[in-house]
Amino acid sequence: MRKQNYWGYIFTLPFVINVVVFLIFPVVFSAYISFTQYDLFNAPKWTGLTNWINMFNKDEFWISMRNVFAFALIFVPLQTLFAFLIAFLLNQALRAKSLFRLMYFMPVVTPWLAGGVVWAWMFNHQYGVINWFLGLFNIDPVHWIDNKSWLVVMASIAIVNVWKGVGQSMIILLAGMQNVPKEVLEAGQIDGASGWKQLTHIVFPIVTPMVYMVVILSTISAFQAFDIFLGLFGGIQAGIPQQSVVPNLVVYRDSFVLFKMGPASAMAWILFFVILVVTLFQRYFEKRWVHYD
Amino acid sequence: MKKRSGLWMMMLALVLVFTACSSGGGGSKNTPSTSPSSAPSSGTESAAPSEKPPKQLSLTIGLPGSYEVTKKEIIDKFIETHPHITVKIEDAPWGDFTSKIATQIAGNTMPDVWFQENAAILGYGKRGVAEDLKPYIERDLNASDYVDALFSAQTSDGKVWGIPHGVNSVALAYNKSVFEAANVDLPTDDWTYADLIEAAKKLTIKEGNNVKQFGFIGTASITTGWFPWIKQAGGMVLDDTKTKSMLNDPKTLEGLSQLRQGIQDGYFTNNDFLTANGGALEVFATGKSAMYMMQYSEQVSMNSKFPDADWDVVKAPKAVDGKRYVPFVTNSWLISSRASDDSKEAAWQFLKFYLGEEAQTILAESGSSLPVKQSAYTVFDNSTTKPLNKKGFTEGVAEGGVTLDENASWAEWRLLVQQEVNEAIVQGNKSVEDALAAAHKGVQQVLDENK
Repeated sequence: MRKQNYWGYIFTLPFVINVVVFLIFPVVFSAYISFTQYDLFNAPKWTGLTNWINMFNKDEFWISMRNVFAFALIFVPLQTLFAFLIAFLLNQALRAKSLFRLMYFMPVVTPWLAGGVVWAWMFNHQYGVINWFLGLFNIDPVHWIDNKSWLVVMASIAIVNVWKGVGQSMIILLAGMQNVPKEVLEAGQIDGASGWKQLTHIVFPIVTPMVYMVVILSTISAFQAFDIFLGLFGGIQAGIPQQSVVPNLVVYRDSFVLFKMGPASAMAWILFFVILVVTLFQRYFEKRWVHYD
Repeated sequence: MKKRSGLWMMMLALVLVFTACSSGGGGSKNTPSTSPSSAPSSGTESAAPSEKPPKQLSLTIGLPGSYEVTKKEIIDKFIETHPHITVKIEDAPWGDFTSKIATQIAGNTMPDVWFQENAAILGYGKRGVAEDLKPYIERDLNASDYVDALFSAQTSDGKVWGIPHGVNSVALAYNKSVFEAANVDLPTDDWTYADLIEAAKKLTIKEGNNVKQFGFIGTASITTGWFPWIKQAGGMVLDDTKTKSMLNDPKTLEGLSQLRQGIQDGYFTNNDFLTANGGALEVFATGKSAMYMMQYSEQVSMNSKFPDADWDVVKAPKAVDGKRYVPFVTNSWLISSRASDDSKEAAWQFLKFYLGEEAQTILAESGSSLPVKQSAYTVFDNSTTKPLNKKGFTEGVAEGGVTLDENASWAEWRLLVQQEVNEAIVQGNKSVEDALAAAHKGVQQVLDENK
């Protein structure tokens, strides 16, 4: 038995090394360098809480937090709602069901760069197809991602993020809906439940664990938003307006453009804590609306 | 006991992994030199050739964008004429090179010599990554053989962190057909920016709310946009010591406001128009705009993509004070301060070759950069490619060449200004006053942090 234990350690060693070197070590090291001045080229110099204090003193930090919360608050409900409705429709006896599923899933596999460029064009104030379409109804052109109001900018970007992510959430919810027992739905029909009542009183309660998972995953992805901003604004070097920055843009800029690994790590850790708190908050309310039985 | 020995084995394996990760070994670092050598020893080439065969050296050259900017012909000739130096090329696409080189420096596996934007080189110098080339230049070069831009990477304390691969300056390009059709006098070297604005108004053709033809290409980029417009009004971005922001100077405000005014009034192109019409070069070449502040390297694309366009250049217009300020950018070569002494010497031999007559002539003929060596400018005397008046570039930069106020924190403060300029000039979401006030505050903070 003891000999078996010994071989167990040997066989798991490669995976343990992998986790320690590529997961635990970077996490611990990033926590350490958040208290240092480190430019990648010279040894880190201990600076205590300087990076953290400087971060809280900068407008940019608070603006990025305001933006990412607004972005998440718009994006998560929109994405969950659309994913739920699309999944419900695709779960019906439709012709060309597979084609529709493919269509809704295609944006998920579209590279962000390509998607970002196309959407930047569609959002263009003067030449964009969206404003052209609004013009057909005599609606004045809208500044979408270059609006004076940061909230309009965040809402516009959230719409693009829904386009990109709705397919993935839809697949999760569709899988849940396909597990709804037919007998239950039939029993509901016999008792006179309308389609709407079936959806709200039978389907939704049964798939709430999936909905909860979609909400959690969407929230985390919203707080980690990065490529969508980079794609729409044309890159860090193009000078993304301060009113439109989100935390991951700041992390990327500080670390890989300015080589200020200390402030970048501090920001990354703050983002981690924010996501942790938001997820725990969601978990606190889980039992009130998620049904596992 | 067995459990404990298993744990010890795991720890031993981890130590081995970390040891393997931390070993150097990139480039040619036989005996890494930790401190920059202040007085380089006499080079292998400078020894009398008949005394003994030159020492065998190795050299790793880092090339961003492969040979897109540097010419393969130059490096091939260097390899051919320096058989005692074993050359290894490490290249990466432009976009990836910065992160690749940063990772290599962190792992001590960087090349012995590489080139990047001059501002990046200054940053490397401040962080101790670049070798001070001043002693090498004093030993082997005659500074008077070169244009002033040779010292683009010189700091206020006299250190030279890099030498330019070439010079990329701006001049005022004009579409002759558009001028002739509008019966407007062609630009001259004596033009001021006020003349440019007046001509742009005359050359603009509006049809209702749409502009059919613009007078001038207004861009929000630093080199051809906000920097020259600030300088022409007598404003400044940083002071001469490059430690103080001058973005709160009223003349700076005036210059930037003129650029915004031109765009708002529709006689300068706006960003959307440029993007929708294929970019600045296409807009200029197809006559949708009459004038363009063109960078020298763009002539290569102009000639290959739009060979029939009828255009030429004059020097960049004069500023309100009668002086000329011609922004130029350079990509500079640096030698790694952590390379072995032998590799540093090999790298310097490469740079000397790059600054030599033969290599600089190849560079001049390519049209991608103006050469650094003055004698190579004779290439332009018999040039028949457009622009015919290459003196617009060469004499312009000689008369009033200025860098983009590059210092070690340039990458950081340039981004801050660009953000604000975008909001004021491109999007029009802020007044120029507000944008400059915010930029001034941010830039000064960056400069103070990097003192």
